[in-house]
Amino acid sequence: MTEYSRGAKGSFVSTGAQKPVYLPFVPNLVKLLNYTASATPAQSGIPRAYWDANMGQGFSIVDLYNATPALITDSVDVNGISTFSAGLSLQYGATKQIIGATKADPIVFNVTAHGYSVGDIVIFEGLYQSATTGMPQISGMPFVITAVDDANNFSINWNGNQSNYTALSGSPTGAFVKKVLYPFLYVPGVSFIEAITTGTTTTIVTTAPHNMVVGQEVAFRITNPWGTYQLNSLPNVALPGSPIYGYIVSVTNSTTVVVNINSTGYTAYNSNQPVASLAGMQLPQMLAVGDVNTGGALITAGSDLYPSPLVNGVRTINGPAINGAFINNTRQGFIVGAGTAVGDAGSVLVGAASDVIYWEAYFIEYTSPY
Amino acid sequence: MITNTGNLGPMILQSLAPAMLYVPTPTMNYITVADKISMPANGGTTCRFMRPRALTPPTVQLGNSGIDPAAQVPQRDIIDAQMAFFGTGCILNEQVILQDQEGVLAWVSERLAVSMRQAEDLILRDYVVSAASQINAGGGSNGDNPTNLGISDFSLVSTTLDTNNAFKFMSGIEGTLKFGTGPVRSAYFVLSSTELQSDFDGLVGQGFKSSWDYPSTSSALPSEYGSIFNARILTSSEAPVARGASANGQDVYYNTWFGKQALTHINQDGYSMKLIYRDPMYSGMLAQNATLSVKFAQSQALTQDTGIRNLLCTRLASLGV
Repeated sequence: MTEYSRGAKGSFVSTGAQKPVYLPFVPNLVKLLNYTASATPAQSGIPRAYWDANMGQGFSIVDLYNATPALITDSVDVNGISTFSAGLSLQYGATKQIIGATKADPIVFNVTAHGYSVGDIVIFEGLYQSATTGMPQISGMPFVITAVDDANNFSINWNGNQSNYTALSGSPTGAFVKKVLYPFLYVPGVSFIEAITTGTTTTIVTTAPHNMVVGQEVAFRITNPWGTYQLNSLPNVALPGSPIYGYIVSVTNSTTVVVNINSTGYTAYNSNQPVASLAGMQLPQMLAVGDVNTGGALITAGSDLYPSPLVNGVRTINGPAINGAFINNTRQGFIVGAGTAVGDAGSVLVGAASDVIYWEAYFIEYTSPY
Repeated sequence: MITNTGNLGPMILQSLAPAMLYVPTPTMNYITVADKISMPANGGTTCRFMRPRALTPPTVQLGNSGIDPAAQVPQRDIIDAQMAFFGTGCILNEQVILQDQEGVLAWVSERLAVSMRQAEDLILRDYVVSAASQINAGGGSNGDNPTNLGISDFSLVSTTLDTNNAFKFMSGIEGTLKFGTGPVRSAYFVLSSTELQSDFDGLVGQGFKSSWDYPSTSSALPSEYGSIFNARILTSSEAPVARGASANGQDVYYNTWFGKQALTHINQDGYSMKLIYRDPMYSGMLAQNATLSVKFAQSQALTQDTGIRNLLCTRLASLGV
């Protein structure tokens, strides 16, 4: 049945963190060869790995170097190889109990075996320490995980060290976090605002990657309690009815942009919202409304001559587009996790930073048992 | 001894009922409210929209100097959207087609066509979730963020869109002398979840009017549940819901308000909604397998960001199942 089977191969340089590989199909067989670990045998190195769909998601069988170093076999049972098909939004991972959270900037959350990585997007619910205290103000916004302190603690981009925020402790009832499984399916879109610096230009920090580019035209939706409402596209006092937009003049990083609006004298941004005004609280937003670009993404070393747009640092599976266009980033493929072999906690399936990994992925049409 | 079916049973125990059972399928509302344009062939990967900006009305008098005022510089906004391609299909061994009693090719074709239409709608839905700004309901009484829908939420969003000079879709329906009916305002479309229908029913007497209470139902769409103030509400079970995403861990519903031209659906000239049948002759040396497939090209853009809002809400009470 080779007529209907599919195969693909490729390589990547590991960062030490889990690696998604986009494909035109969802594979049911994946093989990995870590060139670096194979060429320089050392304890805990994983030169080869194998995954079959019948093993289940997140597993893998690996070759592993022991202390000698000699090859042995082992399995990765958590954060091994898994597949994904990211076609629908509003899908979430497991709901996890929050044990505690610091009143700090950034806020550090304590969640037993959270399993998250830097760059994952999460949302929160029920962040009450009592009926009137806690930090439920940040519910409803997606946050990027900016640091993973250890297996049980991670940080997000928000200033919790303000008078209206209270630390969480003792596993508050109903306080949960969950991962947004497929963020950024369509970009650019709405971003939520963590901070604003006013001046001759305006610097916006978002809670999660904004996926905007230089030349992007943006609008703001900020209600008065958050301050800086003067950025809003409407009302326009000078020309009633005509929306006021800004343009992004530089992208500092994935969560920070500079907009060409002179906000000197505007009300200061205020994320110190009281818990008491939570019901019906509006959230401050920046959204893409257009762009002034005429060309596509610039080439980089190793890229296509006409590269696809970048979304959160990864190119889409579609072709080239105008920078700043609304694009589709639905995708599928497999993920090489950063799990460890059962018998060697020092091993990492995806390898160490700078390891060169070759992969093969197949969708085999005929399998037995089907 | 009486001969019965225990000792002389039918040789064939079953017969196929004459009609297929229906397939539960959500109503697809997003394509209904989207503007539609076709991107021409050989036009690149990206569709570009242009919207002029308003010029400043000359409200200052010229005076008698004979000097012209300074000229204005016309400006425009540009919106780009990249085309994307989609498709799916089935491989049918000829023995299935030859031996199965039902018309396999017919009903698989129908299923593929429906899946294609549903994909079109779900793509629009998820795009709107990601791209349109949101307003949290605060007019309800459940103390959550967002709250359940209160009548003031409808006023707020309607006021917002009116103030933004969004265009309403529907002109009003004039009142008639029919018992229990009342006039309907000119309205935006609001796309909501069927799970919110009981909450809408709870607003009867506060402003909600069932579509059955319109003076004439001739302009009501099949999925139209009713209206509140300047909103005509279409419901679907596929409307977006963020499960357990409110401040109190309840489900959050997206009620998307649309003005005209707020959302535009773009197809590709000559490449939209193709249903493809390939005879087994095109497969392998023994020509064993036929294929049935669909493919289409689609893009989408918010073309009037001022004319669209996601009104987020929770429910007043848990849904019965």
